[in-house]
Amino acid sequence: MGVGNQDQTALAFEGNWRDMIPIALTNLFLTIVTLGFYRFWATTRERQYLWSKTRFIDDTFEWTGTGRELFFGFLIVLFLFGLPFLLINLVLQGLVLQGQQGVAGLMITALNFLLLYLVGVAMFRGLRYRLSRTYWHGIHGGCDNGGWSYGWAWSWKTVAAYFTLALMIPWSMTSLWKQRWSAMSFGPHQFRSNPEWGSLMPRYLIAWFSPWLALILIVVFGFMAAIGGAAVASASGAESTPTLALGIGLLLVFAFYVLIPLAALFYYSVYMREVIGTMSLSTLDFEFTARTKDWVKLFLGNIGLYLLAAVAAAIPVLALGLLANFADLQPGQNPFAGSLLTLAAFALIFAVPFGLVATFVRFRNWSFFVRHLEAVGEINLSALTQSQTRELTQGEGLLDAFDMGAM
Amino acid sequence: MTKVWHYDGTSGIRHEPDCIVVAGGFRLEGPGCTPDVIAWGQLVPRGVKNGDLIYGRTGDRGWQVGFSHPVPNAILSHLPSPQNYGRWVDRFGLWRAGAAFAGLSAIALFIGFKAPDWVAPFVPQSWERNLGDAMIGDFGGRFCNGPGSRAALDALTTRIAPDSADLEIQIANIAMVNAVALPGGKVVIFRGLLQESKNPDELAGVLGHEIGHVRNRDVMQALLRQLGLSVLLGGINSDATGYVSALISSTYSRDAEARADIYSIASMQKAGVSPLSTANFFGRLAEGEKKLGKASAALGYIGSHPVSADREKAYRTSARKGTIFTPAITPEQWAAILDSCHNDPNVEEDDGSFF
Repeated sequence: MGVGNQDQTALAFEGNWRDMIPIALTNLFLTIVTLGFYRFWATTRERQYLWSKTRFIDDTFEWTGTGRELFFGFLIVLFLFGLPFLLINLVLQGLVLQGQQGVAGLMITALNFLLLYLVGVAMFRGLRYRLSRTYWHGIHGGCDNGGWSYGWAWSWKTVAAYFTLALMIPWSMTSLWKQRWSAMSFGPHQFRSNPEWGSLMPRYLIAWFSPWLALILIVVFGFMAAIGGAAVASASGAESTPTLALGIGLLLVFAFYVLIPLAALFYYSVYMREVIGTMSLSTLDFEFTARTKDWVKLFLGNIGLYLLAAVAAAIPVLALGLLANFADLQPGQNPFAGSLLTLAAFALIFAVPFGLVATFVRFRNWSFFVRHLEAVGEINLSALTQSQTRELTQGEGLLDAFDMGAM
Repeated sequence: MTKVWHYDGTSGIRHEPDCIVVAGGFRLEGPGCTPDVIAWGQLVPRGVKNGDLIYGRTGDRGWQVGFSHPVPNAILSHLPSPQNYGRWVDRFGLWRAGAAFAGLSAIALFIGFKAPDWVAPFVPQSWERNLGDAMIGDFGGRFCNGPGSRAALDALTTRIAPDSADLEIQIANIAMVNAVALPGGKVVIFRGLLQESKNPDELAGVLGHEIGHVRNRDVMQALLRQLGLSVLLGGINSDATGYVSALISSTYSRDAEARADIYSIASMQKAGVSPLSTANFFGRLAEGEKKLGKASAALGYIGSHPVSADREKAYRTSARKGTIFTPAITPEQWAAILDSCHNDPNVEEDDGSFF
């Protein structure tokens, strides 16, 4: 059947944030009473909802992952990586105290490289896991590659990109996207990806230059204010430093919270359009339509939600006078030493609003992603046969361990 | 006979067969459907889509059948109930499962906080010693060994703790006013503390207190607690000196402090060393804290050993009338200890890099 034309988009998100409320509340409740262990099942419920509300042509997607496999993934990572890292830490400690700083330094460097490598592997395997659990018309995606070679590509390309004053980042991002997605398939069809980084460079250079621009602005402002201030000061004998500091402070805030993020989104929006726009699956071509202003709206909304959570957490903290423990806090001192109850109260007061808000942020992100994703072309359902990729037995443990999100 | 929709998991074609109930299960009849019987027990609930009840089959995620509303009772009564929160929670109900989880969590937390106290006494001394050697080593060459100081320190130690062969008392060339017990029976006195003390009896009280921590296995408890916390908080970090720093700045519980004091006081009593000097020493440190402000005190002895009026009093009142006290060591020995770092040409300079 033919999909996607001017009037009708093949992909649509039909979810409603009100439907999320009971899911979010019960997930949060169970996560709290299980000290966080329920989060694997919570993630599963959330995805089941999001996937089931994402329609592609005539039917919705289905998330078939389970909480149990996510939990096993977590356990495997804990034992394979968590415990060894803890032991290595103890050894490192001994080395430093025995004056073997050189050996310890080498080990720390090696460890950091290993971590970088594992981050790459985790990103690959996370994507693979998600595709293998995503079903449409009873067909799923996946990949037979373990991602171990992708880990190397990710490591050296990331390092290389930073060694060129970060100028090669568009190249590393696009080539890694291509490598990652070219390995993935859905049903019998392989994803094809062919992004070009050259067209991203103009916007990237603007983003790259924005911190320098901020620095120049601040220096110029400081210089001019100093000259102006000196003139005023010599005329009136008044102190001009407070205004100067205030001005520089405002400029810094502007640079860090407006100028640099805007420039980054300006680049990121063209990057996403390029990498998704050059992707295809069999006779389907994909497109991503979000422009910078859409991304800005998404981010402003998410920041607003987090601010709301911060306010919601601040009210009980202030009302209960819980900050008294922090007044006069000394380095090395534990504010919760005296009272486990205070610690528990703090954990709850923050977990509830931030946990709830995080669910809705993920909802917004998913909705944003689907709304701007288009697919155009032909689908032959009888040729869409089942994926022959190996079934994974455990979830995205490594990705979970590095705490990376769905997008 | 009921119309259902069906994906067979081998191709993406949507089938719309008839569902025919047979003994123990059902059959799907229509174009593209295999005639085998699907047992009710094979069905796995997969949620609700547009009002349709969806079921999969065990071991085959792609296979799906959807029953449109209203589902005839002949079928509905056999269908497993839908899953919502997860198997355990669904079985017991949200609130009951939640209460049970909360109870278990409370028990787990309690055990977690108490476990170090229970486990520490059973960790073999030899393990602790090896661990201590690995963690502390020679303190980066910062241990002072001026002429005569080793013998003097040993004399002081044997005086208050005659059974001290397994202990390793060291002076570290670090300006901090502090003393600390570390794993493996190691007690480290920092140079700064020596400079603050006026006579060997003051040092004897402090040393006795730290030996008390060693004997009570408080160090192992603190280490286990620290390890446990770092596992809980996802402590994969490369801050290698973290554990030792944490041990130095860690405050033991009020009980542990009191027990270490009791040990120290009893040792001094047995040895005939006056506890009054230690009481005076605490008094001076508390005064100093007022002068210095809390920030600088927190990193030193007072930060990790809160000096309360009670503690000072415990030492002061333990001096029984009529007891004949003698100085803990000779003035020559005391001088050797005081100058231990100054007179040691090989000791690592205190460049403030340690903490």
